[in-house]
This record gives sequence, structure tokens and C-alpha cells, in this order.
Amino acid sequence: MKTVIKTNNLSKVYSDAAVPVQALKDVNLEFKEGEFTAIVGPSGSGKTTFLNVIGGLDKPTEGHVIIDDVDIATMKESQLFDFRLKHIGFVFQAYNLIPVLTAKENVSFIMLLQKAPKKEMEKRAKEMLEQVGLDDKLDVRPGKLSGGQQQRVAVARALASKPDFVLADEPTANLDTESAFNLLDIMARLNREENITLIFSTHDQRVIDRARRVITLVDGAVDKDEQFDRD
Amino acid sequence: MLTLAWRNLWRKKRRTFITVSSVMLAAVLAIFLMSMVNGMKQQMIDSIISNTTGHLQIQDVLYHDEPTMDHAMEYGEEVKQAVSAFADEIEYTVPRIEGFCLASKEISSRGVYLMGIWPEKEDRMNDLSSRLIKGEMFSRHDDFAVIAEGVATQLDLELGDTIVLLGQGFQGMTAAGKYRVGGILEFPLPEQNNTMVYLPLQEGQHFFAAPDRLNRLILMLEDQALAEELAKNIQQELDEEWYTLKTWEELMPDKVAAFEARHAQVRIFAWVLYIVAGFGIFGTIITMMHERLREFGILLSIGLKRTQLAGICLLETFFMSIMGVIAGVIVGFPIVYWFYKNPIPLADDMADVMIDFGLEPLMRFSIETDIFIYQALTIFIIALLVGLYPVNKVFRLKMIHAAKN
Repeated sequence: MKTVIKTNNLSKVYSDAAVPVQALKDVNLEFKEGEFTAIVGPSGSGKTTFLNVIGGLDKPTEGHVIIDDVDIATMKESQLFDFRLKHIGFVFQAYNLIPVLTAKENVSFIMLLQKAPKKEMEKRAKEMLEQVGLDDKLDVRPGKLSGGQQQRVAVARALASKPDFVLADEPTANLDTESAFNLLDIMARLNREENITLIFSTHDQRVIDRARRVITLVDGAVDKDEQFDRD
Repeated sequence: MLTLAWRNLWRKKRRTFITVSSVMLAAVLAIFLMSMVNGMKQQMIDSIISNTTGHLQIQDVLYHDEPTMDHAMEYGEEVKQAVSAFADEIEYTVPRIEGFCLASKEISSRGVYLMGIWPEKEDRMNDLSSRLIKGEMFSRHDDFAVIAEGVATQLDLELGDTIVLLGQGFQGMTAAGKYRVGGILEFPLPEQNNTMVYLPLQEGQHFFAAPDRLNRLILMLEDQALAEELAKNIQQELDEEWYTLKTWEELMPDKVAAFEARHAQVRIFAWVLYIVAGFGIFGTIITMMHERLREFGILLSIGLKRTQLAGICLLETFFMSIMGVIAGVIVGFPIVYWFYKNPIPLADDMADVMIDFGLEPLMRFSIETDIFIYQALTIFIIALLVGLYPVNKVFRLKMIHAAKN
């Protein structure tokens, strides 16, 4: 299987605090195409920092992040904007939809930034909302959707632009059990059927139980890297 | 981007309303202030033009610096042809011969200012006859005098009495004459009310021993804005050695300077207003910015470029500013229009100041289109400049910190 992301000796130190904080320590990992990975660990273990760094939202202090044969750690900010837009989908804990846009417009938004043709954009947005079971909410704004529905729109948005992989930072943390299971079912199906690479940071046992690979971070370093056969 | 910016405005209607209102209020105040200032300026110009100088004057080349009867110009074919060559631009002309002289009745005497006038033309220019409180105004062919009420009181003159005038005529001739008082005029300005004596033009020329001569030929134009250009053109038709053309601004430099000084003070006040308005708008924009930092961080995270986000912020400010200034013009216009139709009467010291300037004690307003355009544009530009704050903030935003906010 093709390697989607590779990190070499990845370290991150936050030196703007009174005492410098080592958030990541010498992390060497590889993620293959189609993997469903959960990054777990206690609070402050570096899960979110890891996602931010491999997502190009933050720069490592040392080391490399190789995506599509390119080291994004050396990219300029303007290059990173384009790179993220083309290669990475994001799902956040707090949904983070654009409140003034409808579900369909939110899903189309990244494609719009990618300058996709309008017809293709509309078709894909409808398809994705259908996939997450919201084909009856196309023209509804986020404020009128439940938390679970909003997170499903966020998933559709992340996947609509066909990214190389999706980073999800605690996506179920704000959801009730039914919504969380619903969301996980959808993501697991998309992972399986469309071979989409998913990387979650999570505390949520429901997510961990679905993941085929679980990486445990402790104090910024990889403590365990386990594979599971969920099928 | 346009859709996003427009919809963002209506997401928090109250916030948008406050920002639009602050822009509107600034525009209304600026329009009100400038309408008042321009109204007063126009009032001064109109007053000077209609009561004193006209738009342009043809004079003897030496008269302006040394206004004596010896520098009365010849009103002959050369001047008449030069004026008729520009008949389309000149609405009418007003000839005057004038000078100081001594007026007396029996043993009383006092200095007066005698003006030989063409009454119909003076009426057209400044409605002189409307100031008549007793008797009648002479026609061109009469031979009696009309005097100001102050002169009548000081010399104890009544209608039908004789006023004796004594002065210096053209080229050292003695000017002397006695005239029946046929009318009495009342002026609001004491300096006019206590000095003015009028004769028909030909009588005046005869008195000063200067037939076919004038001290000034006033030109009233179709369009005030053409004065300078027309002065140059008419001058080309006249012998520069003998004749000169003066605009009202050249004839009244002290009043223009005094008013410019006053105008400068108002401009400072206007800038204070602009700055206060700018800070008002700035306050609402800072609040808006801080409420939305997290959203901005997220938008940048999911792939929106900083330039695009800055563009959205600028568009939002643009929409709010344009709505604010349009509302400002819509609200401001009826207010200044009402004051334009109903000038504010001034009292006490303010009234005295106006009278000193030779103006009626009224605060007039202007409704020139330029005021609305210029003030709306100024406030709009200030609002847009203030709107650069979020743009700057977007370019300096730390994405992750903002998204966690």
C-alpha cells in the first residue's frame, strides 16, 4: 500500500511559555493509504499537536513530514495553504461550519476554493450529503441542525474535495452516543468503500474500538503502535 | 466571497446595525456641519456680490489702489464693445460713480458717501428700492436725492428738504450741488445707514464733473464660476494701460481672508468629528473582530487564504460603510433642507459678528450636491481605512491560537 504520510524524527517544542514544553519527541510514523488510525493518549500527550503538524497547521521544531514526496515542514505559509486545500481534509471537535452558509454550501466551500466547476461542485456536495444521510438538509443552515448532523456535514465537507487523508480532532467529543455511533458508522463505511485514510485524535473508546490502528502517545512520544483486525 | 461577506452582515444584525448607525451618524453630522459652513460662505459671497462688488468690475487701472475721482474711467465705446462681445455670459451691467463728500443742511454737516446710480439696474442687483421707508426712488431722469435714514436723522432732513453736497470732482474740479430729498432708505448695516446718499447716474456724473465717466462698471454674470476666465477674456478686449478687471475676491480680500480663517477653524472641528466618528466605527469593528477570531482561525485552517479572508473582511466593511453613508445622506438631506428653507436667526454677539461682516444675522444652510458627495465620500473612506484593522489582523493571525480561542 502507498505511504500517505511519513514523519521523521518529528519534534515540537513550545518555547513561548515560561517553561518550554516538549509537545512531540522524535516521532517516526508512517501512514498507509486506507488506514483508519486513532491517536490516543492522556491530555497533554501531544495528540492535537501531532495532527496540527502533519496537517500543516503548525511547524515542527525539528524533523520532517513527508506527504506525497514533499516535506511540508519546509514549505512557506502560502504554499501550505494550497497544499492543505489540495491534500488534507479536516474535521474539528466543534464542527466549525460556516454559519451563514447552508449545508450544501458548506460542503462545496473547499471545492469552491479549489475553483472546481460549479456543476461538479453541486453534484459532489449532494453526493456527499447523501453519503452522510443528510440529503434532506441540503439548504439548511448549521444553526438549524443538531450537533450530530453538523458534524456529519463537517465530514462531508472534509471528504468532498477528495483529499489524500482526513484529520479529525476529537470529532465525537461533543456528540451523544447515538450521534457518535452514527458518525463513526459513516466514517468507517467511507474508509472501507472509498479507501479514504482517516487519522483521529481521540479519547473516545467508541472511536478506538473502530480503529484498525491505534497509536498511543505519552509525553509527546510514541508509546505503542498497535494494529487490529476489525473486519 | 461576496455572498459570504453579505450574509455575515446579517448574522448578527444588532452588531451590523450599530456599525451602520455609527457611520450614518458621522455622515449626518458631517453633512450638517458642512452644509452650515458652505451656507454661511455662500451667504457671504451672495451678500458681497449683490450688495457691493458684483461678480466682476471694470475699473480704471489705478482706481483700486487709489480710489479717487481722478481715477474714474471713461465709459466709452471701447468698454461698451468689450462688454457686448461677451453678452452671452454677462447677465447685466451696473454703472456707478461714487465718492466721499460733505453733506450739510443749514449749520449741520457730515461726511457722506455719494453714489450716482442707475436705479433700475441697482434694483435688479440688490433690490435697493425695497429699503425705501419714506418718499420715492428716483428714476434715471429725475434730479432729486435719496438718502439713508441715519443721514436724515443726523442732519435733521425730511422729505422735501434740501441737502447740500460738497466734494472734489474730476481733475480738481469742485463738486457742489443742492438736491431735494425725495426718499429715505433704511439699511441694516450702520455703516451704510449712516453714510449713503444716492443720485441718478447722470446727476452724479454732473456733480463730480465727470460726464461719461464711471468709477466702476459692475458685471453680473450668468454663472459665478466663470468670473476669472471671463475677466481674462474681457481684459484682452481692453487697453491694459487704462482698464483693469477685478473679481469680487480681489475687491474684498480682507473679508475673504477673514472668512477663510473662520472656515479653517470649522475644518479643524470637522476633522475632530471625522476622528471621533472613526473611533466609533473602530470600536464596533474591534468587538466584531474579537468575536470572530476563532471563526477566522477555522476558515484559514480549512483552506481559505489570508488574502481571501482579508477580502471578506474588507467587503463586510465596504457593505456596512456604503449602507451607513447612504443612510446618512437619506437622513441628512431632509434635515439640512429644512434649515435651508428655514435659516436660523442669530441673536446677541453672533448677530453682531454677522452684521460686522456685512451679512444678515441669519445662519443659512447650503444644499449643494458637492456637500453630500464629498462628506459621504470622506466618511466612507474613513470607514474603509478603519476596516483595514481586521485586514491587518487577519494577516498577523496565528491560525492555531485563533482556532482554539
